Amino acid sequence: MKKKIVSVLLCMVTVTSMLGGCGSAGTQSGAAASDTAKEAVAGASKSADSASAVSADASSGSSALSADAQQAIADRKAKAQKDGKYEKIVVSFFDWTGKPAGLDRINADICKYTEDALGLDVELQIIDSAAYGDDMKLMLSSGEQVDLFSTCALGYNVCINNGYVMDLEEDDLLSKYGTGISAAVRKDYLDACRVGGTLYGIPPIKDYAIQTAAVCIGQEYLDGIGYDYSSLQADNLGYAKVTWDDINGIFKQLHTKYPDKFVMAIQDNGLSQGSSVDPVGGDYYGGLLDPQNSLKVEDVYTSDTFKEWCQRAYDWNQAGYISQDALTDDTGASAKVKSGSYMAMMACSKPGYKTQISGECGRDMAVFDVGNSFMSSSSVSAFPWCINQNTEDPVAAMQVLNALYSDPVLSNYLCWGEEGKEYKVNSDTSITYADGVDANNSQYYPNVLWMMPNPYVAHVWQGDPLDIGQQMATFNDSCECKSKALGFTWDNSDVSSEYTALKNAYDQYAPQVVFGFTAPEEGIKQLDDALKAAGLDDYMAAKQEALDKWAKESGVQ
Amino acid sequence: MMSEHNKSAGTLHRTGKKKAVRYIPLYLMAFPGMLYLFVNNYMPLPGLILAFKKYSARKGIFGSKFVGFKNFKYLFATQDAFIITRNTICYNIVFIIVNTVCAIFVAILLAEMTSKVKKLYQSLILLPYMISMVIVSYLVFGFLSTENGFFNNTILKAFGAAPVSWYMEKKYWPFILVFVNTWKSIGYNCVIYLATILSFDRSIYESAAIDGASKWQQIRKITVPLLKPTIIMLTLLAVGRIFYSDFGLFYQVPQNQGALFSVTNTIDTYVYRGLLESGDMAMSSAAGLYQSIVGFILVLGANLLVRKIEPDSALF
Repeated sequence: MKKKIVSVLLCMVTVTSMLGGCGSAGTQSGAAASDTAKEAVAGASKSADSASAVSADASSGSSALSADAQQAIADRKAKAQKDGKYEKIVVSFFDWTGKPAGLDRINADICKYTEDALGLDVELQIIDSAAYGDDMKLMLSSGEQVDLFSTCALGYNVCINNGYVMDLEEDDLLSKYGTGISAAVRKDYLDACRVGGTLYGIPPIKDYAIQTAAVCIGQEYLDGIGYDYSSLQADNLGYAKVTWDDINGIFKQLHTKYPDKFVMAIQDNGLSQGSSVDPVGGDYYGGLLDPQNSLKVEDVYTSDTFKEWCQRAYDWNQAGYISQDALTDDTGASAKVKSGSYMAMMACSKPGYKTQISGECGRDMAVFDVGNSFMSSSSVSAFPWCINQNTEDPVAAMQVLNALYSDPVLSNYLCWGEEGKEYKVNSDTSITYADGVDANNSQYYPNVLWMMPNPYVAHVWQGDPLDIGQQMATFNDSCECKSKALGFTWDNSDVSSEYTALKNAYDQYAPQVVFGFTAPEEGIKQLDDALKAAGLDDYMAAKQEALDKWAKESGVQ
Repeated sequence: MMSEHNKSAGTLHRTGKKKAVRYIPLYLMAFPGMLYLFVNNYMPLPGLILAFKKYSARKGIFGSKFVGFKNFKYLFATQDAFIITRNTICYNIVFIIVNTVCAIFVAILLAEMTSKVKKLYQSLILLPYMISMVIVSYLVFGFLSTENGFFNNTILKAFGAAPVSWYMEKKYWPFILVFVNTWKSIGYNCVIYLATILSFDRSIYESAAIDGASKWQQIRKITVPLLKPTIIMLTLLAVGRIFYSDFGLFYQVPQNQGALFSVTNTIDTYVYRGLLESGDMAMSSAAGLYQSIVGFILVLGANLLVRKIEPDSALF
């Protein structure tokens, strides 16, 4: 009998190993994680060796800044002549569609340029957005070569807490080899990326401020109800400035005219894109309700702002503007509008936003400004560019990063691809698709300009103002509501059990009330009770303590 | 005497050696599997220490700071701990019972079939097992969607009933999940029972038939008792995984709906949701370690129990 059992057991093991390839995800990923982590140990000790070698090199170089950089380049070229090949720096970021078809060609072009300019090869590694976070975590902990990477989708704090990134000012890296970065990124924005006084990343040059609550409605639907957009008063970005009553009036007409379509592609972004509540420390479990004037961490979910949004969603839902499948359908709002079944969505705007959102929604969109401008504490430090702590040659990595911020040739390759193949230059120096190329058949069109280190040294796309870089800088500088906590980042690992519980409580009770399926009074009470039970008060207290400490250290009143 | 002893020892040794030589091909065949088992299941074991550390890639697993049981705290600290443990265990107990009963039922039906279409039925029953849970979740959504779902638009309409917001009403979900799980796994579960039934000595059935036993009596008195060791073994294995849950079933099929958490949140989904953003490896290994240790104890306990009651059927 025993033998029989064993034989059945063996047979089962065989069948399981054949069929169960995607079985127990938990155990498999656990095993994979510990495997890769082990490799990381080996990798880390190796990089320590090379780092000390590099610092020895650097100290033997001359003291003048540009000379340091030139010396490093000359050294690499000499080494390349001796070895017959250039050392390589791998730069990782994501796009929406995975590795572009023309990436190998672009990489070859870039190498041809950088071998001469920097004495090294650069390889762009572009990963699909959905896989980027997981892939990068594996690569960073397994010692695979990644030298420079965007922390977007990975999380800046996650990278710091896990020890993936290096101190950019170690051995004067930034001051010696990053002169172009210091020139392009203002010091207060750099300082906003310091965590515990250490600079781990350089922010991409982009819109740090947002114009909250931009309601975007398809132009064709507005035409359908005979609405005259151009008669409205414009805000300083050129979008129509309206009130929520105006919007509700438009929605009502749209609903009557197009009863088969849903009016609003609703998202859970009322706070993040539609308010100036500052998610200080990286989440809304305790935020700054008046970020411009006060550093008091308060319960966001009992605030009037949150209640207003819930009431708005509830009214829309009652009026039939929202799909009854809104809770389960997690398609992006712009994709929903693109599908033609939805007419409007809410996001936040900035200079050039009309072009961007019209592209995303596949139709001409009218942008209504219902909010105000706001710069949150984490806006600058949301996803800086970082150097892997495991990199073999930090100097080379820093020099590439420096070139990405200051070198138009490199930035053009990175943002737009190859001239003549992907784009052509118009007479006014703006660019457009090369002949016969469009967004669908272009072999290199990552479409993540907002993540690029410095897209404003590259060409400007046709249709955007030629001085868009300047406009963006003005937009940032003229922001009316800058958070006092700008630059505050927080390591919440001491209260991670509370965070886990809060996240689960939020997921359990928030969506119904945020999407207007339960009445605000009742829904908010449920949500807040659950959050309180999950330890909201302790979490907020820990956050407040860290914020106070930060404020004291950085001299913020 | 002495030499005789030596001699017999020698023959013993030789036959042992002979046996070993004879089995070389079998060992070779087993080698890849063993290697896989070793690499995948044994080599990472030292990494379990990660559960007690504050992990930093810079310092590595063994260099990271030791923090004791801090990483386990989040699993027990909140009021969710009870719900996720209850859901995980109760669903698994129901799954074990329902799956075993259904699988044996289907296996007996298939074994009794003689026609050519038997293979076809078998494949059709196995088919759902091959479908990814993500796709299953959309099949379920096709039935249950509030706006366009089959139930709301066809069946409930035909009876004149009001549409139901399936994804907001938690009372239906224990049944939906059990149904989906059974539908999906029954084909795979019945394969082992079917193979066991087919290996039974047919002459027992023939003599029973001659003695006038009906089909029902044959099943009750012969098939089921003979199946008992297999049932016990498979149940023991399932008990060992009672603290794990099918992530796809509990996360994808309810479409990650908050309103359903009190009946769909299990240890795995709780850990996933909580650590999705922080990506804390130490905390997730803590959860994995906790699950496997409890599973290990349960298997040992269950086996002990079986050995007390029926020593022949115990696994070890």
